[in-house]
Amino acid sequence: MSPLTLRTSALALALAPFATGQANELNPDISVVLDGYYKQNATALSHREEGFGLGHTELSLSAPVDDLFEGRLTSVLEDHDGESEVELEEAFLQTTAMPWNLSVRGGRFLSQVGYLNSRHLHEDDFVERPAVYRALLGSHYFDDGLRLNLLLPTPFYWQLGAEAFDGNRLSEGDEDIGVYTVNTRFGGDIGQSQSWQAGLSYLRNRQIHGEDDHEEEEEHGHEHEEAGHDHEHAHGAAYTGENLYIADLVWKWSPDGNTRQQQLTLSGEYLYADDLNEFAGSGDSHEGWYASAVYQFAPQWSAGARYGRIDLSEPHGDHFHDQVLKETDVMLAWSHSHFSTVRLQYTHQDGEGFEDADNTVMVQYVLSLGAHGAHGF
Amino acid sequence: MASRRHLITLGLTALLALGSPPAAAGLRVFACEPEWADLVRKLVPDAALTTATTAWQDPHYIEARPSLIAAMRNADLAVCTGASLEAGWLPALLSRAANRTVRPGQPGLFLAADQVTLYQPHDHVDRSLGDVHPEGDPHLHLDPDKLPRIAAALAERLAVIAPERALDIQRNLLQWRVQWNLKRGQWRRLARTLDGMAVVVQHSNFGYLLRWLGVEATLDLEPNPGLPPTAAHLNRVLRSAQLDRVQAILIGSYQDRRPADWLAERSGLPVLVLPGTVTEEPPFEDLAALIDRLVETLVAHRQAGQPGDVRPMGQRDAD
Repeated sequence: MSPLTLRTSALALALAPFATGQANELNPDISVVLDGYYKQNATALSHREEGFGLGHTELSLSAPVDDLFEGRLTSVLEDHDGESEVELEEAFLQTTAMPWNLSVRGGRFLSQVGYLNSRHLHEDDFVERPAVYRALLGSHYFDDGLRLNLLLPTPFYWQLGAEAFDGNRLSEGDEDIGVYTVNTRFGGDIGQSQSWQAGLSYLRNRQIHGEDDHEEEEEHGHEHEEAGHDHEHAHGAAYTGENLYIADLVWKWSPDGNTRQQQLTLSGEYLYADDLNEFAGSGDSHEGWYASAVYQFAPQWSAGARYGRIDLSEPHGDHFHDQVLKETDVMLAWSHSHFSTVRLQYTHQDGEGFEDADNTVMVQYVLSLGAHGAHGF
Repeated sequence: MASRRHLITLGLTALLALGSPPAAAGLRVFACEPEWADLVRKLVPDAALTTATTAWQDPHYIEARPSLIAAMRNADLAVCTGASLEAGWLPALLSRAANRTVRPGQPGLFLAADQVTLYQPHDHVDRSLGDVHPEGDPHLHLDPDKLPRIAAALAERLAVIAPERALDIQRNLLQWRVQWNLKRGQWRRLARTLDGMAVVVQHSNFGYLLRWLGVEATLDLEPNPGLPPTAAHLNRVLRSAQLDRVQAILIGSYQDRRPADWLAERSGLPVLVLPGTVTEEPPFEDLAALIDRLVETLVAHRQAGQPGDVRPMGQRDAD
């Protein structure tokens, strides 16, 4: 337990008595997410070990700072080999009153590339992110940097965004600005019952080229192979490329737009990475996609299926080994209230070049205590 | 080269012009719920309105979807209920829209709940009580006494946003008020026949109006506020001694009608499915008309008290 954890929990305790009621408006909103699971077998590229375990335990504080800024701090407590690690996942300021519908975010935050990456893990419909996210983005890529977003004055939704990051949380290197991204997103409604959103993202990893970096990359890759799934979360992505392209599409349907009663969500993403290192030829790339369908058929129940596939090129000196992982998930979730979810999931993996590909049953709970931030689309 | 740059500039200008009509063209208002759109329409008839929800949607569970972000981005004023009713989506909308004029503490965000005192504010809530709002019950839009106060505050706010139309707004408010007071007199008279009536409800959607009319919401199909009805709870309601005094089951049109039907089948009580808010079409085209229909329906069941299913015209199937 680090001093930081103790201090934050003491802070939480001190603030808790005032967390409800109306006299609390000067205190930040506090929210805690508890995530626990049981997993029958270990699986490939997974961040969750077999047996009983804790997933992504979050403590988050957020509040308007003044009339120009709001701030948010999210710390994540994770267990690795019996040791608790505290990690800062978010610590950012966000502007609220910029002209021309600009917004700036600075500090540490989740990159907005793709559809899933900017969402918190506890909002997900499945126990783990799709394999392609686990391989290429370390499940969710967050880093220290700066973001600028512009919402265009069109009658439909159209956003342009750019981010610059330190980059060391994706792959290690010497560049001051190791990663930058550009992203556009648009969307709208089709009648009363349907809505959609599409996005295109590009992530440039400037730390990939160069001899030293390559050594480190390779070493890291082997380490990952040996240690299985231990530390890749903390160390960023296991597979990287200089260029990463992402296309995403989400479509939702509810009768009369009443999402409380029923909702069908179809979503899918395609990711492609190339220029893996200085030995990479035109055919060496990482590629992956997933498609997911989740049907909330009653206010408290939802069922879903997801299929995903990745084709990876694992660097070995001056050549690459092909790896393929196909993953199918089915899940059933029960949410007694808006703040509690219990999920049963079966995952089937079919891998080439992955010795630990396996099938598993998982049971997971996700509980959210305290303030519950509004979710995005 | 020069001509290409010229073309790009032209294209950009056209794009910007397409998206943002000049302010003089009309006031752009984002209404979180249809009841506030109705008030805005009464005060500024030519306002360009976007309404985020309909009577067939549960206002607690709206998504901050792209179309709403775009509408919020382009709005001069947002009119919402407040009191955490929209806690699950409004903060995300405001933040994503990054509209500096529409945000908490600015004239561009009008919250109806801030203009009046709410029923049952709580000093202490925890989630084991269900979805209880510490500020008080936010479903205040059918209260015949609170609405004039909200309308007056809204008129004042609209005049701040569009000072050049202050006179028109004031005149429209007076007109609305005169008609409202006439209506309120009628409802008051009808309420005498309703005094002591008891109904089963689902959530507190109609709570403010029922209390004003003297109709008791004796039983609730929800086990805890915001949680869907369960079989165990419905059985408790069915066995409750208070059910004998009840004359009808009243639910909103966005709610699943199966629990109400289940109870109706076993108790012989009529199910009244009415929109919880205005639908922009007769016979629920505005707040006065909606309250008219609600009061009429209750009066009809107070007098007749006969079992059966009542579906006022214009009512869509709940499923």
